[in-house]
Amino acid sequence: MAYVAVESDERLEEGDSKVFAQPPEGNIGDRSPRESQGRGYISDAANASFWNVDYYQHHFDVDTKTVIFRCINTLNPFSPTYTSAHLTPAPDLYGPFWSLTTLIFTLFVTSSLAHSVVSYLSSSPVEYDFALLSTAVGLVYAYGIGVPVMLWGVLRYIGISEGWAMGEAVTVWGYGMFVWIPVSILCIIPIALFRWILVGIGFAVSGYFLVANIYPVLLSADQKPVRLLIVLIAVLHAVVALLFKVLFFSYYIETNIGPTDPVANNVMARMVP
Amino acid sequence: MASAPPTATTQYIQADDSDDDLNDEDIPGFGAGTPLLDTPDKGKGRVPDHLASPGIPPPVVSGNINSSGNPSKSPARQSFGGVQIETRYGGIDTLDEPITATIGRDLLSIYNKLVQVLYPIRKGSSREVLRDWDLWGPLILCLMLGILLSVNAPKDQSLGVFTSVIVIVCVGALVVTIQAKLLGGRVSFFQGLCALGYCVAPLDIAALVSCFVRVIYVRAPVAILAWAWCIWASANFLDGTKIDPQRILLAVYPLLLFYFILAWMILIQ
Repeated sequence: MAYVAVESDERLEEGDSKVFAQPPEGNIGDRSPRESQGRGYISDAANASFWNVDYYQHHFDVDTKTVIFRCINTLNPFSPTYTSAHLTPAPDLYGPFWSLTTLIFTLFVTSSLAHSVVSYLSSSPVEYDFALLSTAVGLVYAYGIGVPVMLWGVLRYIGISEGWAMGEAVTVWGYGMFVWIPVSILCIIPIALFRWILVGIGFAVSGYFLVANIYPVLLSADQKPVRLLIVLIAVLHAVVALLFKVLFFSYYIETNIGPTDPVANNVMARMVP
Repeated sequence: MASAPPTATTQYIQADDSDDDLNDEDIPGFGAGTPLLDTPDKGKGRVPDHLASPGIPPPVVSGNINSSGNPSKSPARQSFGGVQIETRYGGIDTLDEPITATIGRDLLSIYNKLVQVLYPIRKGSSREVLRDWDLWGPLILCLMLGILLSVNAPKDQSLGVFTSVIVIVCVGALVVTIQAKLLGGRVSFFQGLCALGYCVAPLDIAALVSCFVRVIYVRAPVAILAWAWCIWASANFLDGTKIDPQRILLAVYPLLLFYFILAWMILIQ
């Protein structure tokens, strides 16, 4: 008789013995990291490889209200859980990723809405710029995911922050960008001063969230100059805020002052062979 | 030496030196047998009882070359280097029929699936809705949407628009399916892609209407209606994936975004 390898036996031997244990509990206290929120989901994260979907499952272990709470919490600097809401019980990747994606789409939609409102008010024909969508994608993902990963890499290289996971870095940046969504919706209004004030508020709120969360990590370094990194982060944030304003919220009403110039148009026409 | 016909209780006989007449295949149990199908996501989202029963009999996978044996229409899953692959088996010998019959059958199947997705039947059997997934339908719908949108775009941007639409549909369907899996839903990967691709169909209709009608007061309601229809059809599909009710909004939200951006691109043509 030949032996047929039963793969399920191997799975039973390794891994969490909690698999057979008690029924799912609702207690927050004795939640094991593997058993997600007492719901009976057993994640196979130990057995999964990097390319398997299960490897990432514990990053998405959140409910709707948790995500919404974390998003709204970034708007209120005085809340007691300002620096901890997105980390308890574990940082998630759902909020940051969809926050960034929503931001991209909001920027594109509000920008084209602003363009059409302005064109309607100045009675000129509308030509939408679809390239704005790809610009938005590049800018937001590079800043929201690329910069935290780079910062995490730099800190790892320097040797501090052994306890700061890459997921936490991305979480901070992702939730921090949430404030730009209401800002961009309000920026449809084509008044220049109003837009600059809004962008300033957005910069301040999201910048403060970033600084409040990153500075404690930088403080844990032995070398003093590492704290200057926070200046670099603030400068980068200011650059991104400026880019948002200039790229997406620059549509203003053009009105003709004075009579139309009959010569100018013809000059151009004659110069073209 | 005389060999008795092998029965179910035949033990494995120690081979002699003169075993020329011993046929290996006649010995029951000799050889690898049917390999167990790899199901890497076995543990996900199931109660502990499942993992306690390892002795699941391996499902029979028999693919006959002459295809006159088992015509099984269900997608067969195999594991190839740790990656799960699903293939479809037609069950009929398709080499000799005229081309119109082949294409006609595929078109009919696309049409059937379209109807199933867009007008889902509420009776119990509807959960089997897209077992027989295919990606031709979503491809055709996606290309149609891209063409309709890029035809009316400004001249220098029409290629960009076409590219954006294709990329958004492909990447969007991928991301939403993976997201649903990550949130704990039990959805097969290609089935998810197929369903989300088919749900783009109402937006195709809206794009067609928007091609010809320029009045915003007609295009806006049509686009919004098409968007709502898409969401309803794909939420129906997500219903069957048994995601926890407290997270269902998290799974539906990416759909809202995904179809909204397409509807927006239709609106601002």
